[in-house]
Amino acid sequence: MYKTDVRGKLIDGEKSLSQISQEILAPIDAKVPMWWYIAMGISLVMLALGVKSIYITLTQGIGTWGVNSTVAWGWEIINFVWWIGIGHAGTAFSIFLLILRQKWRTAINRAAEAMTVVAVFCAALFPLMHMGRPWLFFYIFPYPNTRGPLWVNFNSPLFWDFMAISAYLLISASFWYFGMVPDFATIRDTTKSKIKKAVYGFFAFGWVGSSREWLRYEGLAFVLGGIAAVLVVSVHSIVSTDFAVSIEPGWHTTLFPPYFVVGAIFSGFAMVLTLVTLMKKLYKMGDFITENHVDAVCRILVFISLIMGTAYITEIFIAWYSGSEYEMYTFFKNRITGEYAMQFWGMFIFNALLPQLFWSRKVRSNLWVVFVISLFINLGMWFERFNIVVTSLSKNYLPASWAEYHPTFIEIGFFVGTLGMFSAGVLLFFRYIPQIAISEVKMISKYNTQQTDHLKPGHHHDYE
Amino acid sequence: MITNKKYLVGVFDDEHTLKDAFQKALDKGVVIEEVYTPYPIHEILHGMKNKTNITTAAFFFGLFAVIMLIGGMYYAAVIDWPLHFGGKPFNTFPSFIVVTIVATILTITILTLFTFSVRAKIFPGKNAEIIDKRATDDKFIILLDQDKMGIDKPEVTKLFQINGASEVYEKETDTN
Repeated sequence: MYKTDVRGKLIDGEKSLSQISQEILAPIDAKVPMWWYIAMGISLVMLALGVKSIYITLTQGIGTWGVNSTVAWGWEIINFVWWIGIGHAGTAFSIFLLILRQKWRTAINRAAEAMTVVAVFCAALFPLMHMGRPWLFFYIFPYPNTRGPLWVNFNSPLFWDFMAISAYLLISASFWYFGMVPDFATIRDTTKSKIKKAVYGFFAFGWVGSSREWLRYEGLAFVLGGIAAVLVVSVHSIVSTDFAVSIEPGWHTTLFPPYFVVGAIFSGFAMVLTLVTLMKKLYKMGDFITENHVDAVCRILVFISLIMGTAYITEIFIAWYSGSEYEMYTFFKNRITGEYAMQFWGMFIFNALLPQLFWSRKVRSNLWVVFVISLFINLGMWFERFNIVVTSLSKNYLPASWAEYHPTFIEIGFFVGTLGMFSAGVLLFFRYIPQIAISEVKMISKYNTQQTDHLKPGHHHDYE
Repeated sequence: MITNKKYLVGVFDDEHTLKDAFQKALDKGVVIEEVYTPYPIHEILHGMKNKTNITTAAFFFGLFAVIMLIGGMYYAAVIDWPLHFGGKPFNTFPSFIVVTIVATILTITILTLFTFSVRAKIFPGKNAEIIDKRATDDKFIILLDQDKMGIDKPEVTKLFQINGASEVYEKETDTN
């Protein structure tokens, strides 16, 4: 049970149910602000750069990238892991907070899930292009073929990854979509525009809010939620086995799966924080995303940040404690010091130290500071992946094959393109889809007036 | 065959009055056709005595997927095309576990979504049969079929009104 007296209000102001619908739907009906077009323009330019980079990669091959036979995984795998990590927030919000019965999730889960779907699309592009000949993508499907040992290698983490990401994309997209169906019905039934009525009516799938529908809907949410909780943990564990089952120094550790899962949720929550501060500022959703919501996300971040710091220090300690000179070299000569020290310390400071500022209530309640820190965490998480991928590969067992890695403009353009795709997707979401789950917010609106429940009919206490 | 169905619609403004009136109506033996609400209310879902077996179905989808996946991988690795990796066993079961988990989740998701769509009759292009369109916004609707509600019209109207209905009206629809 949510204790409003202790945790603060979930919705600011005494809002009627129809006010909740109107205020959340306001951006869909309102005139599109100028900044939206400018932001969309910038996103599309970035996306165009990405498309051009992909075109060059497709026509000329991955020789146009900076990767070489030593550092065969460059920015592409870094960006893949980074995006997948960001994509963990949606399901983490929806599922873990649903299971933990955290009522405050309702204001944020829609945005988090939207972000997840776009982020997973961005992520999936990287391994696809890294195949070199993406038109032979179907080679990874598990069917008997004449190309080699008849079947795909079921023991390969890369194959697991393919299955995991397909499942993740499907489940997060359907969780997101079915969450929106009742809200689309609300738009259909409240809008005055005939076009919107037809379009949202189509996407509402004939929803009317009957008890039969709600019953099965809850059942579906329960099933998808239950299995997606397993998936959240397993997807990034599998991504980590892409690294951990190899024998590269710095990768070959049992710490990797929990370290990756926690890191993914960390970066995802940071991106959620970035988004909700924007929603608060740009769309005046402050009544629904209150200070208490931002506060709650910040508290989670400070906790996860401690886990991240522990993981970093554990890695370093084990490198020393193991006595393996290759591990020692990687951590002490090629990460903490050496030519990649900047990325290591960027990672350490932004992920383990900077979020400690959230211990202070003053910092947590200053939206601008929260916004800036959330961006730094995202940068820090990118550095983490750089640190893992590049440092281990560039100098491993055989000094004769040591090599440096520098990204080319094609790789940078590709990454910028996915950033553009992400922001364009989020902007479309802001404009066409209810940013907050209306029906779920209505459901928790009663907790706002919990203290006066006994005054309402139908509520009996023993002393009455 | 097209027949005109006569309904009685009780409109309530909030969850508390709805639950109260719903319970009182049930106590009086009123047969309630359907309840429409902007969000799920567990007392109502419970009181309507509908049951869903979607969780059980999902379990069997999962069981089916696990058997098919482990069986399929065993078939591929041991029976159909065994490969020698330095004397390692053909059946490398532990390394099948991870992919079994994620592919099972994938299968459950697809089949459960399909089941939901079929059973709840929620699918693209369906025409919504709207009784009162405020039910997706801010009203809570109890719908009674006048032919089989098991109580007189004036009596149930009074029952609703005493218990906080903001509106009680009749509605006819064409159903076939």
